[in-house]
Amino acid sequence: MSSRAQPAMIMEPSRRARIYSLIGLAVLLLLAIIIATGVGSVSISFPTTFSILADRLPFVEITPTWPDNIAAIIVDVRLPRVILAGLVGAALAVAGATYQGLFRNPLADPYLIGVAQGASLGAVIGFLLPVGWHIAGFGLIPLLAFAGALLATVTVYLLARVGKTLPVTTLILAGVALSALLSSIVSYLIISAGNKMHGIIFWLMGSFSQSQWSEIEIVLPYVAAGTAVIIIFARLLNVMQLDEEQAQQLGVNVERLKIILLAAATLVTAASVAFVGTIGFVGIIIPHAVRIIWGADHRFLLPLAVLTGATFMIFTDLIARTVMAPAEIPIGVITAICGAPFFLYLLRRRKKAIF
Amino acid sequence: MKTTLKKLGLVCLAAILFSSLFISCDSGTESPTAPLTITDQLGRTVTLETTDPQRIVSLAPANTEILFALGLGDKVVGVTDFSDYPPEAFKKPNVGRYDIPNIELVLAADPDLILADSIHQSEIIPQLESHGLTVVAIAPATFDEIFDSIRMVGEITGTTAKAEELLEDMEARVEVITEKTEDLPESERVSVFYLVWHDPLMTSGGDTLINEMIEIGGGRNIFEDTSGAAMVELEELIARNPQVIIAGVGMGLDVETTMQVFESEPRLAETDAMKNSRVYGIHLDISGRTGPRIVEGLEAFARAIHPELFE
Repeated sequence: MSSRAQPAMIMEPSRRARIYSLIGLAVLLLLAIIIATGVGSVSISFPTTFSILADRLPFVEITPTWPDNIAAIIVDVRLPRVILAGLVGAALAVAGATYQGLFRNPLADPYLIGVAQGASLGAVIGFLLPVGWHIAGFGLIPLLAFAGALLATVTVYLLARVGKTLPVTTLILAGVALSALLSSIVSYLIISAGNKMHGIIFWLMGSFSQSQWSEIEIVLPYVAAGTAVIIIFARLLNVMQLDEEQAQQLGVNVERLKIILLAAATLVTAASVAFVGTIGFVGIIIPHAVRIIWGADHRFLLPLAVLTGATFMIFTDLIARTVMAPAEIPIGVITAICGAPFFLYLLRRRKKAIF
Repeated sequence: MKTTLKKLGLVCLAAILFSSLFISCDSGTESPTAPLTITDQLGRTVTLETTDPQRIVSLAPANTEILFALGLGDKVVGVTDFSDYPPEAFKKPNVGRYDIPNIELVLAADPDLILADSIHQSEIIPQLESHGLTVVAIAPATFDEIFDSIRMVGEITGTTAKAEELLEDMEARVEVITEKTEDLPESERVSVFYLVWHDPLMTSGGDTLINEMIEIGGGRNIFEDTSGAAMVELEELIARNPQVIIAGVGMGLDVETTMQVFESEPRLAETDAMKNSRVYGIHLDISGRTGPRIVEGLEAFARAIHPELFE
């Protein structure tokens, strides 16, 4: 035996550990949904909440001992809000993980190539147009926000494309530049917004306070489809962590993969931002936290990010709407205050390079 | 690839099953035979199930004041921040911020009528309506529209007699002012600058209620060529040389701050208003709320602009 001390080996969690983590997180998510639906500015007892929720399950009938408006609070106000928070948290986390994997850059977040500023510009324009236009039951604002997000990303893509390739650095730079331009237009519009300024600023800060089932019906398909596509390519995303040349030599159609993953991640982000505004922190930090705890294998990183992001967002939204009830703290504040210290703790504990 | 697809399929299936458990159908509100259909001040057609609401939630301080002035204070079951007049209103259950009321609390109050404001137009009103609640929006932009709004509230709450009484009283007080100022020649109209905020410098343009109050009070808004809450240049203010400066006070801007702001700006010292110390503060509770007390605000404007005509 050599007398030289062996360097400390930090083992990647085993495959079994990861699968148990997936199941555990899924259970935690379910618990989070139930708890968050039971707590709010109006105090409703847990038994009542359970009964109301159980009554909604198919094949279950409970004679109501509660007034209609309380049921409406649980089923039409809190539950959609909690579910939307979970959806958006999952979406931002998985999109963030994808961007970080694609760009091989730890600072990447879902808003990197213009989604946030494009959506903000769309939303502000929606605010300033004569209100009252509804298309298919939706206000103009989410529609324009979504369109703005996609247009911005497409513009960045077109600007950065070089022949048949999409150089990653150019993409980032173009994204930053376009975001700056859009952001200044947004600022100008805010100043000229008069008495709508207030509403706009609140929208931009991000909030789940107006969540409705109709919104979930729109967001869910986009997020589900986009996440599915991303997870399908998880193994290829692993390969992409080598540099692009090597990946190409290993048989990966790198350019096509980039476009597919970018499109999916952007779609997922745009759908989220369109309805709730731009919520920061989740997209960049949750993937890193998951990486620190469970390793960087994207086949697990992505689903774990989905579950972690969802649970995190549900809990932070719960805090945002209860700590100062009946007022709400903007959720971006809570995600940062809750998430940052925990993330710093993780960094210190592991004491290894995670990227 | 195959196992990933299988995993994926299972995940998707689980997600769809899980979500279908909870996506509720339409919460089934019947459409009752309505005794009254009105058009509110945001142009919305509202069908009212009853003209005798028993549980009213007011989402704006002006609306709260109207309700109490019409004797409906007992029926108010929820108010938002700033609903502090009359004092009884302040003791009512709070349902959240003025601009973003808390939907849970509004629902918990179980109202059969909600009086909203133009600020709630884009997000709050649609959401309240999606829960089957009756929302009427009050959004007057002129004095006449304020009178209309009071008349409308009287109509939808069955207090038309009281509303007419209140309006007569208000109109009489306005008469006292207009009979002296209606026929003032342009030369006797006092030029007024209204201060909304000092940094950035903001004033009220020609299409605002403030502008109307300045006009009725016998003055002329030096920035009537702007619109809404307008940011203006200091040099324009100096060039237009107002004879009177009126500041909206009460929300972060009291009279002392106003005076300090203006005194600390030496370039303004040459304006007529500063030279003659004609700088006044008028509380936003009476000049900014489009309720019954707006006539108090008008009277304050008249006194500030033509102290020789109104004591």
